[in-house]
Amino acid sequence: MLKTLIDAFALISTWEVIIAMCAASVYGLVIGSLPGLSATMATALLVPVTFYLSPIAAIATIVAASSMAIFSGDIPGALLRIPGTPASAAYADEAYAMTRKGQAELALGAGVWFSAVGGIAGVLSLMILAPPLAEIALSFSTFEYFWLALLGLMCATLVARSSPVKAIAGMFIGLLVSCIGIENPGGVPRFTFGITDLFGGIEPIPALVGVFAVAQVMRAMLTPEPPPLPRRKFGSIMAGQWKLTRKYHWQMTRGNIVGIIIGVLPGAGADMAAWVSYAMSKRFSKEPEKFGTGHVEGLVEAGASNNASIASGWVPSLLFGIPGDTIAAIAIGVLYMKGLNPGPTLFTEKASSMYAIYLMFIIANILMIPLGIAMIRVAAYILLAPRSTVMPIIMLCCAVGSFAIGNNMFGVVTVAAFGIIGYVMEANGYPVAAMVLGIVMGTMVEQAFVTSLIKSDGSILPFFERPVAAILAAMAIGALLWPVMVWIWRKVKPVQTAAATSR
Amino acid sequence: MRLPDSVTGSFLVVLGVAAAYGGWILPPVPGQPVGPNVFPLVIGTGLALCGLAIVFGIGHSFEEEEELIPLEDGQAAAAPPPPGKLYGLRALLPPALLLFYVFAADRLGFIITAAIMVYITTTALGAKWKLALPLAALSPFAIHLIFGKLLRVPLPAGLLPTPW
Repeated sequence: MLKTLIDAFALISTWEVIIAMCAASVYGLVIGSLPGLSATMATALLVPVTFYLSPIAAIATIVAASSMAIFSGDIPGALLRIPGTPASAAYADEAYAMTRKGQAELALGAGVWFSAVGGIAGVLSLMILAPPLAEIALSFSTFEYFWLALLGLMCATLVARSSPVKAIAGMFIGLLVSCIGIENPGGVPRFTFGITDLFGGIEPIPALVGVFAVAQVMRAMLTPEPPPLPRRKFGSIMAGQWKLTRKYHWQMTRGNIVGIIIGVLPGAGADMAAWVSYAMSKRFSKEPEKFGTGHVEGLVEAGASNNASIASGWVPSLLFGIPGDTIAAIAIGVLYMKGLNPGPTLFTEKASSMYAIYLMFIIANILMIPLGIAMIRVAAYILLAPRSTVMPIIMLCCAVGSFAIGNNMFGVVTVAAFGIIGYVMEANGYPVAAMVLGIVMGTMVEQAFVTSLIKSDGSILPFFERPVAAILAAMAIGALLWPVMVWIWRKVKPVQTAAATSR
Repeated sequence: MRLPDSVTGSFLVVLGVAAAYGGWILPPVPGQPVGPNVFPLVIGTGLALCGLAIVFGIGHSFEEEEELIPLEDGQAAAAPPPPGKLYGLRALLPPALLLFYVFAADRLGFIITAAIMVYITTTALGAKWKLALPLAALSPFAIHLIFGKLLRVPLPAGLLPTPW
């Protein structure tokens, strides 16, 4: 234990890791604060850079950039009422109302402080939850993996803020994309249409860059430019935060816990955590009438929640290769590339690397406080950059980055194609996160499914025989039938009430 | 690009049926009941069923209407988008430019292609040439420095080899 901890310290205390972490923090803060550029996009554009770093430094950049970007989305939310990332959308109104009351410092300070606290709570959950779960997961057979993967996919569709049918359709599209190539049980070219470039399949990373970055540039083409930030002087940012922590410690803890749970659920990430926590805070508040008029309580809870979900999203990713959110989906791609293949054995064989990840999360969240304060002070200057200068650079990064993944122009074609797919899906209410999950998990789902079918030799019984498999199966089938039951319930209920009143 | 649900749903039905058929005709693994054909078959069927459900509007009631944030006194209303059928096609510009990069980069070289891409994107987002021109001239060199020099990505030199 102590030896692994020392090893982990040795792993992260190299110049490469320290520089990578600082640079990625600044990068995450800047991208997160620019409206329209999300934390997922920041992480996706980082991937080509991580190719050229050591494994630990590569993970350090992702950890630092994603944590920082989620916080810094609060800055334009509070000052402009335009959330920098979707994760800040839930409470942008509230924070802006505080700014109009002259409490911008308090709102932004709460953003930094409770983000950092939430982030650290998330890491603690990762440290506590992951090792025992890894013990259990070691005895999993393909049947359990199959149900687990199915459950993960179903979760993503249940939590989507959209029609569950469309979410399931999006997931199927993602799974279909993962079918392309020769990496299948028969080793035959599947859906390649004779195109050699498709033999290797569709790489998840260019697909993610297309869906999250190119589609965003496409949307920017049709939406008006956000207004510039009014320049202002800030007072002390951290003043009063300790008082808030004492006053709202229960709300903060609840936000942390909700964020951790939502982070662990596959497909649901920081934005969902913030929405749920904000709603919860209002529901259980002693003074709900103050919400919406610039009340800090909701900010505390939601701010603590969205950052907690970032670290806990790594729990299913590291254990099973099932991404807890879209950022973790990218992280999984990087983990595979760096030879840290997700799985329960990671915690026994590469324990020092795991401790290094925990430590980096803690450091990133501590680093967030000074860097975040600095960022708030210079945000007015960064937000002066017009969108017409930022978007072209992102386009170039998309082109060069997707080329760099395989030194192959086909990556650029993939990015362009998935930009269009992502844009059309988003415009028509199909959640792209569900598709992304399908692409990332497709190969694993198919492998578990086909291997289980072969092992069961045509019988359906082995899918339910083992106790853990049976529990997971019940949960997955329940999740699958849930929208149907709600639909039937809604159809039947009006009839019943009508019958009751007529009687 | 908001299409009626009946259109996207029908498209999914066609895609699903095509995927299921494509899976069906794949050669099986000799001596094995399940092979590469099973998974596409399952997914295709599922996709087609989802498409049918969407066509018939099942699950539509779950969809939340997009929240429009009302403008406040401090925020002046942005200029309304110029009407016209072709306006929506502007969204296709970024993927078109990426494809242009694929075809042109090897011949023209990274710097020239990137400069053209930056110039077009910047002007399309409403910037004047005074901003677009210097940006198009400088940013390709900056990106080349980071990716080509520091990260050693083999970017095509083309007509204009970089001085370093």
